[in-house]
Amino acid sequence: MIRALREVEGGLRLLMHFWLRMPALRRPPVRESFLRQVYFTGVTASTGVVLRASGLGALIIAFTMQILDADTSLAVKILLWVVLREVGPLAAAMVVILRTGTAVSAELAMMRITGQMDALRRMGIESYDYLVVPRVAGIMLATAALTCYIQFLAVLGGMILSPFVIQASFTELYTRFFELVAPIDFVYSIVKSLMFGCAIALTCCYHGLNPPAFTLNGVPQAVTRAVTASAVAVLTINAVFAYLVFGVLFFGLVKAVVCAPRRCATTCGATRATRCA
Amino acid sequence: MRAPALRYDLRRDAGDPVRVTVPRGATQRLRLPDNEAKTRLVAAVLTARVAANEDLELFGKPVRGLGRAERAGLHDRIGVLTQAMGLISNLNAWENISLPAAYHGTRPIARIAKTARDAAAALGADPQRFLARLPDEMDPFERKLTAFLRLLAKEPALAVIDGLAEGLDREQSARAARFEAEYRARQPEGTLLFVDLAEEDLP
Repeated sequence: MIRALREVEGGLRLLMHFWLRMPALRRPPVRESFLRQVYFTGVTASTGVVLRASGLGALIIAFTMQILDADTSLAVKILLWVVLREVGPLAAAMVVILRTGTAVSAELAMMRITGQMDALRRMGIESYDYLVVPRVAGIMLATAALTCYIQFLAVLGGMILSPFVIQASFTELYTRFFELVAPIDFVYSIVKSLMFGCAIALTCCYHGLNPPAFTLNGVPQAVTRAVTASAVAVLTINAVFAYLVFGVLFFGLVKAVVCAPRRCATTCGATRATRCA
Repeated sequence: MRAPALRYDLRRDAGDPVRVTVPRGATQRLRLPDNEAKTRLVAAVLTARVAANEDLELFGKPVRGLGRAERAGLHDRIGVLTQAMGLISNLNAWENISLPAAYHGTRPIARIAKTARDAAAALGADPQRFLARLPDEMDPFERKLTAFLRLLAKEPALAVIDGLAEGLDREQSARAARFEAEYRARQPEGTLLFVDLAEEDLP
């Protein structure tokens, strides 16, 4: 428990540092490190997700129409809600945790253990500016980009592949999709993916910079802790964010009871209602 | 008369005291009696900080009680090649060499690139291939060369090289011995100090 609190406190400290020291990105080596991070997290990961993401969209449409016996409209709605709002950002976050989170935590733990952080300090380089700021910024941006890419592939793949497995044409799915989609869906998923990226980067940087042991054995331990904590952070943010934005937790299993006072006054008569009857 | 580039004094309860004076512009080879004395001298110059039983003057200025800005000013004039070398493992040789200058924006990168290329070629390395290598892909001499080129890029008025030949074989040591000429060619007025253990203390 104390360790968890210390991790949260450490993560918040890093977040504060990142926020205050963002101008460090103007320095050429920091900017280069940022671009390298974007490339590694976003570009190199993108090829690996093509098949998985397009298969995901087709699976969701086929599953909804075959098993739930839904019509095209409901299938597209589910594609929209599940892929755009939930699975897209979550899938991108998982890819980032598995590829980048492990690499960042191992790299930083190794640097800490082998004294490279001290070497940076001796060169007059603020190690957090050089190591944390570009990684957090790069991972945030790349997670958002990867989310958009996965969403695009999943939706497009779902529409292209679905006519082969269900009774629905591409045009029908396409038309329904653009009738139902709203800008808020994209804004919601982008904001969420930026938060995921931030949480993953901070968690992995924190565990990499604070390995449990200052021997080589500390590296795998730091990676394990970073991956576990990142997954917990992402799922927590997902649940809290969904609750805050839509008032619905865990895909609707727990319904929010908070609603606007004006509406409450008309439905249940409460004058200063925070909870509906 | 100008103050010496370095004056160091270490008082010890056990073991002989250590007193070192290095005049400006000189090249001096220092053989210290034991590892503790060597480590403490290098650490004191590197950090410009001293313990209670040490005194250090750099360019005539005692480092005890120096302010942050003055200490930073001293750091700019001093280059230390330690045995750890302090290379960053995910940066190639060129990025390691140019990192401090690129980060602080103190010296033009083009000038550093020219120095690195010329010095690497003069010291028997193929600049094109050597500068693209990561520290893990380098042999001990190349790692030392990278750290030395980073030191040269700083254009230090006082350069301290700790254990020049340590970890190198005979042929590599002979190549490393040319570091002095390279430094002198670029810093004719500079002070160069090689720090080693006395022969009888070598393992």
